[in-house]
Amino acid sequence: MTDHVISTNGASPRRDAPGDRIGFIRNGGRFLHLLVRGAFLQIITFGFYRFWLTTDLRRHLWSRTRLNGENFEYIGRGRELLVGFLIALAILVPIYLAVFLIGIWLENVRAFSSLLLVLFMFLFGQFALYRARRYRLSRTIWRGVRFWMTGSGWAYALRAFGWQILVVLTLGLAYPWYARWRESFKMRNTYYGDAPGAFEGRGGQFFKRGFGLWLLTVGGLLALGAAAASFDWIRLEGKEVPRAASIALGAAVTLWLLASAIAYPYFRAIEWRWWAQGVRLGNVSLHSTLRGGQLLKLYLRIIGWVLLLLIGWIVIGAIIALIVHLGLGDLKLLLSETSARMKSPGIFHIAMLVVAAIFYLLILMSFGIVQRFFTMHELWRTVVESLTVENVASLEGVIQRGDATSALGEGLADSLDVGGF
Amino acid sequence: MAMEGSGTFYDGLSNKPHNVAVRLGPTLEIVEDGRVLAGWPYEWVRRADSSDGSFRLRTLNGAELARLIMADDMFAAQVRKACPRLDVEDPTSRTATGRIVVWSLAAAVSLILTGLYGIPFAAEKLTPLVPLSFENYLGEATDKQVGTIFNTTACDTPDGTAAFRKLIGKIVAPANLPVAVRASVVRSNIPNAIALPGGKVYLFRGLLDKAQSPDEVAGVLAHELGHVKHRDSMRILIQAGGTSFLLGLLFGDVTGSGAAIYAAKTLTNASYTRDAERNADGLAIEVLQSLGRSPKPLGELLLRVTGPEDRGLMNLVASHPLSEERLQRMAAAAPATAGPPILSEAEWQSLKQICGPAKPGDKTNDKK
Repeated sequence: MTDHVISTNGASPRRDAPGDRIGFIRNGGRFLHLLVRGAFLQIITFGFYRFWLTTDLRRHLWSRTRLNGENFEYIGRGRELLVGFLIALAILVPIYLAVFLIGIWLENVRAFSSLLLVLFMFLFGQFALYRARRYRLSRTIWRGVRFWMTGSGWAYALRAFGWQILVVLTLGLAYPWYARWRESFKMRNTYYGDAPGAFEGRGGQFFKRGFGLWLLTVGGLLALGAAAASFDWIRLEGKEVPRAASIALGAAVTLWLLASAIAYPYFRAIEWRWWAQGVRLGNVSLHSTLRGGQLLKLYLRIIGWVLLLLIGWIVIGAIIALIVHLGLGDLKLLLSETSARMKSPGIFHIAMLVVAAIFYLLILMSFGIVQRFFTMHELWRTVVESLTVENVASLEGVIQRGDATSALGEGLADSLDVGGF
Repeated sequence: MAMEGSGTFYDGLSNKPHNVAVRLGPTLEIVEDGRVLAGWPYEWVRRADSSDGSFRLRTLNGAELARLIMADDMFAAQVRKACPRLDVEDPTSRTATGRIVVWSLAAAVSLILTGLYGIPFAAEKLTPLVPLSFENYLGEATDKQVGTIFNTTACDTPDGTAAFRKLIGKIVAPANLPVAVRASVVRSNIPNAIALPGGKVYLFRGLLDKAQSPDEVAGVLAHELGHVKHRDSMRILIQAGGTSFLLGLLFGDVTGSGAAIYAAKTLTNASYTRDAERNADGLAIEVLQSLGRSPKPLGELLLRVTGPEDRGLMNLVASHPLSEERLQRMAAAAPATAGPPILSEAEWQSLKQICGPAKPGDKTNDKK
């Protein structure tokens, strides 16, 4: 990955409006170093290092993002995330326990109580997402003034729940309006110092841009379903479905799967461009030129690197096996001897088990590193470099307001496995 | 040596940049047009994140968000020398990382010790506090579950049931149980016997078929009464729930934690159940001794069912103690004087026939 190590001043004046420059200083090598170091530390600390690793990664990304020559700064600390996680445990454990007891005590309502748990966890998850954003924002400063957020996480969670039901019922057609409500709720409650945020994107706009992709994916699925149902109908009537038609349906399904996988990054890019266009902070507005192809390339790079790593690990495994074979004797015999001697294993046999366990951990670790490098560093870089900003001058003289928020939301998000950065 | 440098200062109150002179006075003095904006005591000055090679400072005893930005030049080197605790909080420094590692290991050790000693102790103390009515609820729920896996239809012939009742009556008296026992022989062909929460005991027909004397059956049932007496199902439920929670806490989302959690859970839960089995064996030995019968046949039956078991390292994950080890313990506990047989030969034969003659068709009557 040497091409990312080269450090250049990422602000590209070509696209930027005169005066206002946003950019990202590339230093993928250092980010990769943080990831590798963090992965090892996570293993020896039984995973506790994750709070500090998250903080290190954010500090890297924030500080390398520059607006008009001054970098952003992430001032959150790992210790805050640890505390947030512990508080989240204190809240979630009694809930889990109560639901567990209800489930045993009232067997006839067990199905109901697990439904209750799912509902509860969904609401907590939405709440956590909102509060985690609030935490991250209030730990973000630029030119000595912090970004911050107000708004009730529960009000957000309840409404998000209603909206998402609507989205499901409309087969996704209501998604643009849900997105508009969601972003507007968040941005209305967002501030930089005393400059308030707002969101001016419209649902109809997003709908028009995304409708083609909806037809391709959801519409395509409906069409395929109808075709399959009509084939069943023909068979019920006792007639034969022409062989060519069956093959055509199979081909169509394959094509649809491929097209949907490719459509996803294009959809994300549409959503991102629409979001950037709608965001306001004071009089500052954004514009993004992010293309779906860029995101697709990112996903393909992840897949490529994972495959490459897989091949690499297989080769390394084969070489180790060969060395053992040549140096210590017939591998097949050694293995069968190891399993036969489980009763009184020698040091050599225990060592073999330990080496196998370490090998397994290393493989998983390497995949995690690749995934994080691309979904955090490269995605962040691509997105920031696609941005242009206008009217930053209107933020001149903004007064510091707002307080830091607790990391409770981050803790909940961590224990519920939701959340992004 | 230059005692003054220049830089940009944000006061943390507004985002207006101040072009300032920086002086190394009694404190780090930040001066704009001859007016001192701030004086930062050197020991409170810390480094702030920078990405473009600039030298960025903050302070712990002034405005939290105030930042002083200077070029990283000769003067910056002097400032660096003057501020003794500049990098003391850097979380990527060796000392900070070392502290996190040490505390994490301490947390891991304390969680492991809690799992090995604290949770069994807590379960021991908590189990008597669980109301019996709750245990009965639990028992009924488990019963339904068991019924979906095994054939738990009761076997019932007049003579067989009478013999079974007699046998149960003899072993219940010395066992001294806190709850009423409801024992029955069921049709499942698996050689096993189980005790459910709330005092229900099932002797599977498969085990009865393998038994060669009333003493063996009495031993097995007395062992199950041991589980009832110690309320083992309740205790193991509390213990297993507790360890799952602790291990989840410990491993969080480390890559590969799924496998690690599974391995750790298997090891600890196996050690809990092995202890429970040993205690139940203890009660079985006690009961048989008080009836003047040797517990050795119980051990022989167990070995007959399991076959030789010693598997070296794999013993650690076994849920029961080794049959060899159990037989040894029971053989050593034979009473000096032999009491009367528990059942007469006729009663024993009717008990063996309680499920009717063994039919090859019955082999498949477990719902799986």
